[in-house]
Amino acid sequence: MKRRTLAAGAFAAALIGSGRAKAQGATGEPIKVGAIISLTGPGAGLGQPQRQGMLLAEKTINAAGGVGGRPIKLFIEDDGSKPDIAKSKAERLIFDEKVSAIIGPSLTASTGAVAALTNAEGMPELCFTGLGPRTELTYKSLFHLLPPQDLNARAMLEYTTKELKAKKIGILHDTGYGQVVTNQLNTLREKYGVEFSAIEKFEVGASDVSAQAAKVRAANPDVVFVIATSAVPFRNARQVKIEQPIVSAIGSSTYDYVRGFGEYADNIVFPEFLVGEQPKDSQKAFVDAFRKEYGSLPKNFEAAAWDGVHIVAKAVEKAGPRASGKELAAAMRAPYSGVMASYDFTKDDMTGIDLSSYVFSKLVGGKFERLPFTTK
Amino acid sequence: MTFTLLIQSILAGLTNGFVYGLIGLGIAVAFRGARIINAMQGDVALIGAVMAYSASVSFGLPMPVGFVIGVVAGGLTGFLVDRLMIRPTLKRRGSEDSLLLVTLGGAFAVSAAVLLYFGRDSYPIPGIGGNDIVDVFDASMRVHAIWLIVISLAVVAALRWFYAKTLVGQALLAASIDPEGALTLGINVGRMRALTFGLGGLVGGLAGVLVAPLINIQYEMGLLLTLKGFAAAILGGLSSPFGAIFGGVLLGLVESLAVVTISSGYKDVVSMTLLIAIMIVLPQGLFGRRGRLGG
Amino acid sequence: MTALARSATAHLWTGMLMVAVLLVWVALPWFLSRSAIDILVFTGIYTIAGLGVSFLLGQCGIVSLAQSGFYGIGAYATAYGTTVLGLPIPVCIVLGMLVSAVIAAAVGVPVLRLSGHFLALATLALAIIAHVLFLELEWITGGTLGIGGIPRISLFGFTFATPFRFYYLVWPSAFALLLAYSLLLRSRTGIALRAMRDAPAAAAVAGIPIASLKVRIFVLSAAVGAFAGSLFAHYVSFISVDSFAIDRAIGFLLIAVLGGVRSIPGTIAGALFVTAAPNYLSRLGDIHPLLFALALIVAVIFLPGGFGGFMANLGAKLSSGGRRPSAPAGG
Repeated sequence: MKRRTLAAGAFAAALIGSGRAKAQGATGEPIKVGAIISLTGPGAGLGQPQRQGMLLAEKTINAAGGVGGRPIKLFIEDDGSKPDIAKSKAERLIFDEKVSAIIGPSLTASTGAVAALTNAEGMPELCFTGLGPRTELTYKSLFHLLPPQDLNARAMLEYTTKELKAKKIGILHDTGYGQVVTNQLNTLREKYGVEFSAIEKFEVGASDVSAQAAKVRAANPDVVFVIATSAVPFRNARQVKIEQPIVSAIGSSTYDYVRGFGEYADNIVFPEFLVGEQPKDSQKAFVDAFRKEYGSLPKNFEAAAWDGVHIVAKAVEKAGPRASGKELAAAMRAPYSGVMASYDFTKDDMTGIDLSSYVFSKLVGGKFERLPFTTK
Repeated sequence: MTFTLLIQSILAGLTNGFVYGLIGLGIAVAFRGARIINAMQGDVALIGAVMAYSASVSFGLPMPVGFVIGVVAGGLTGFLVDRLMIRPTLKRRGSEDSLLLVTLGGAFAVSAAVLLYFGRDSYPIPGIGGNDIVDVFDASMRVHAIWLIVISLAVVAALRWFYAKTLVGQALLAASIDPEGALTLGINVGRMRALTFGLGGLVGGLAGVLVAPLINIQYEMGLLLTLKGFAAAILGGLSSPFGAIFGGVLLGLVESLAVVTISSGYKDVVSMTLLIAIMIVLPQGLFGRRGRLGG
Repeated sequence: MTALARSATAHLWTGMLMVAVLLVWVALPWFLSRSAIDILVFTGIYTIAGLGVSFLLGQCGIVSLAQSGFYGIGAYATAYGTTVLGLPIPVCIVLGMLVSAVIAAAVGVPVLRLSGHFLALATLALAIIAHVLFLELEWITGGTLGIGGIPRISLFGFTFATPFRFYYLVWPSAFALLLAYSLLLRSRTGIALRAMRDAPAAAAVAGIPIASLKVRIFVLSAAVGAFAGSLFAHYVSFISVDSFAIDRAIGFLLIAVLGGVRSIPGTIAGALFVTAAPNYLSRLGDIHPLLFALALIVAVIFLPGGFGGFMANLGAKLSSGGRRPSAPAGG
C-alpha cells in the first residue's frame, strides 16, 4: 500500500515538475530552459538535490512575474548518470524542444559529451561540474557553476596551513573526483610548502578501504585529507584509529554522506559554500525559502542549481526575448552575485569563483558548524 | 612496512574477505542446488539490509527482530526469484545465458526500486557490539567483524550438515545433479529448486544484515557485491559453501596486501590477474571436485 | 511446385524484402527528429560492438564481458592519436583495432582455455583490469576528466558532424560487418565453428584446431569492438573512463542475448532495445530504471531465442505455413 502511494507520488511529482510553470503569475510565452541531470544511477546524489534547487527557482521566478511577464519553463531530463544518454537528451532539448539554454549535467563525463554539442551550436550551458579537460577552456559558452578543482585544492590547503598550521598531510582519495583534486594538490604542494606523507587511493564504490586508511595512518601525518564521493573512507579512517583532524572537499559535503558517517561525523572540515544551519546573510532568504518548500536544509548543489536558473533568467532579461543562443551566452558573460558564490563569467576559467566565496564548516557530533575562518 | 600496518591490512583483508565470501556463499548454494548463477545475490543482501533497517530504525522494532525480518525478507526474495523469474524462463527453454540475464534484470530492478522507494541513503545498521573495536598489536578490528566471521563459519557448518545428513538436503542435491533420475525417485524437482533459491535468499538476507554495519550498503551496491561474491564462489569451485568463504578470504587478503605492498591504484589489477591465473592453473577451483560442472 | 521453383520464389521474396528494408533505411532520417536519429546512431555503434559479443557467444559458446575494454582501447587510440599525436583519423582507427587485436591474442591464448562460468568471470576480470588501466594511465586517457575536442570524421570534405550525417556512416559499416559475419558463418570456418560448438569432442577428432579457432574469433571480436569504440569517440567528440566501465560490458552482453545469439540481424533489435528503451522510458519520471529492468526481464523470459529467434520463427511460419523447418537467420 505504502509502495503504491510512493509510486503514485513519484509519478505525480514528475508530472508537476514539467507542468508547474503554467499555473503561476507569469502568463506570456514561456522561456524554455533545458536541464540534464543525473536523477538515477550513481550520480543521483547530485542530480536530485539539483532538481530541488531548480524547481524552487522556477517557482519563485514565475510567482514574481517571470522574466518580463514570461514564465520560465524547465525541461528536466535524467541522463541516468551515463554520458551517451546525456548527449541524446541534449540533442532532444536543443533541436527538438528548442530550449534557450542548458543547465547541467551533474557529472564530468556527461558534461564533456554535452559540451561538445552546445559549443558547436554556441548554446549557453551552465554545468554543475568543475572545469574538465583542457579543451573546455576554449568552449566560450560553457559556464561552470562549481569551482575548478584547483580552487577546491587551494581552499583545503589554505585551511590546513593557516588555521591548523600543519605541514605533513596524508591523503585518502577515490579514483574519480578524488583523483582530480589530488592531481591539483600535487601541483600546489611546493607553493604551500607542505609534504604529502602518504597518498592512497581506492576505486569508486569500494566497500571497505581500511587497508588504504591504515597505510595513511602509518605515515603519521598531522592532517588527513579524505576526498571521495562516498561515506566509506571517512568511517574506515576513524575505525583504523586515524585521530588527526580530517579535511575534506566540497564533493563529500552532503547530508546523505554525513548520515552515512554515523557517529564518525566529527572533527571533519569542509571548504564549501553554504552551511544551511548558519547561512551567510546573502544566503538566508534562499535557505528559508528552501526549508519552507521542502522541509529540509539545502546544501551547495541546491544553491548552485538555484543560481543556474537565475543566471539564465537574468541573461534573457538582458539580451531580450528574441536573443539567439550566442547572444544569450554573451549576456551571461558577466559577473553574477549568486547564493552559492560570486561568479565572474568573464574570467578565463568560465566560472570566476575565487577563494573569498568559500566558507569553512566543521562536523561536530553529526552537525555542520560554520567556522570563523576565512581565507582573507 | 611496519608490523602494525601488516596486521591491519590482514585484518582488513579478512573482514572484506568474509563479506565477499558471504555473498559468494549464497551464489554457491543456488548453484549447487539449481546449476544457475544468481546475479541478484548482492541485491538480495541489499533487500535484507533495507528491510532490517526499516524495521528497526524506522518502525522502532528491537534490533534482533529487525535482524530476523531482514533474513526472512532475503529468503522470501529468493523464493520469488525462482517463482517469478527462473521458473517461467525454464518453462520456455531459456538458455543458461537467459537465466543469467533474467537475474541480472532482477538486480537492476532491485537497485532502481530501492533508489525510488527508499532513497539514496546508506543503511548503517548498528553492529553486534556497536562500534566497539578490539586491538591486535595496535591494529584494530570491529567486534562486529569477528561476529561476522563466526556466524559465516557457523552457516557453512550448518549447510554441510544439511546437505550431508538431512533427507531434504540430499534430495536437493539429487535433483540438481540428475533431475530426471530424481524425478523417478519421486522428488519434486521444481519444489527443490524453489527451496534452493529460498535457501540462497536466506543466506543473502543474512549477508545483508551482517555486512551493512561494516560497509555502506546503498542502492547501487548490489551488483558490486555480486561481482566480488561471484569471484569468491568461483575460486572456491562454485558449488562448495566452504570454498566460497575460502575464495572470498583469499580475494580479500590479496586485495589488501596488494594495497600495502604494491600500490592502491593497481589493487584490482593484481587481484584480477591472480584470479585469472588461479582459474587457469586450477581449472576446478580450489575446492571444487565437481568444479567442471560449473562449465 | 518443384523445389527449384520454390527456391527461386523464396529468393525473389528475400530480394524484395531487402530492397524495401534498404529504402526504409535510406528514408528514415528524413522523417525523424534529430534526437531520434541520434538514438539510431548509438544503436548502430552498439550493434557493431554487440555483433562481436553475439558471434562469440552464439557460435563459439564464449561469454565475453571483456568487450568494454576493447571498445575503450579503440576509443582512446583514436582520441589520443588525433588530438595529441595529430595522426590522420583512418590511421588511428586501424591502430586501435590492431592494438585491440594484439592484446586479445595475448590474453586470449591462456584465458580461452577456460570455459563456461570460469570463462565469463575471466573476461569480467579483464574488463575490470582494462577499466583500472584506463583510469591509471592518465597521460594517455586523461583519467576521470577524459579527452575532449576529438575531431569529426570527414570524407572528401564532407564532415560527419550531425546525427543525420553520421547515420549514413555508421549504418553502412554495421551492415558491412553483418554481411561479413554472415559470410563467415557460411564459410568452412563457420562449419568448423558449429561443429566445435555442438560436438566439441567430434570436432577435435575431425582435426579442427579448436584452441586457435577460438582465439581467432576472439581477436576478430576485439577488433570489431575497437572499431565501434573509435566511431563512438568521433561521434561524441568527447570520451572519459565512465563510458568503458563494467555496465558497458554488461550492456553489450544484453544486446547479444536479447538479440538472440544464434541470429546475426537480431543484434540490431537488441541494440535498439538497449539504446532506445532507457531514453524513452525516462519520460515517465524517476521510475524509468525500474521499468527498464522489468521490460528486460519480460523480454528475456518470453523470447528465449531473443528478438532474432522470434523474428525467424515468425518469418518461417508466415512464409511457408510450417512446411520448412525454421532455420534461424544466419544460423
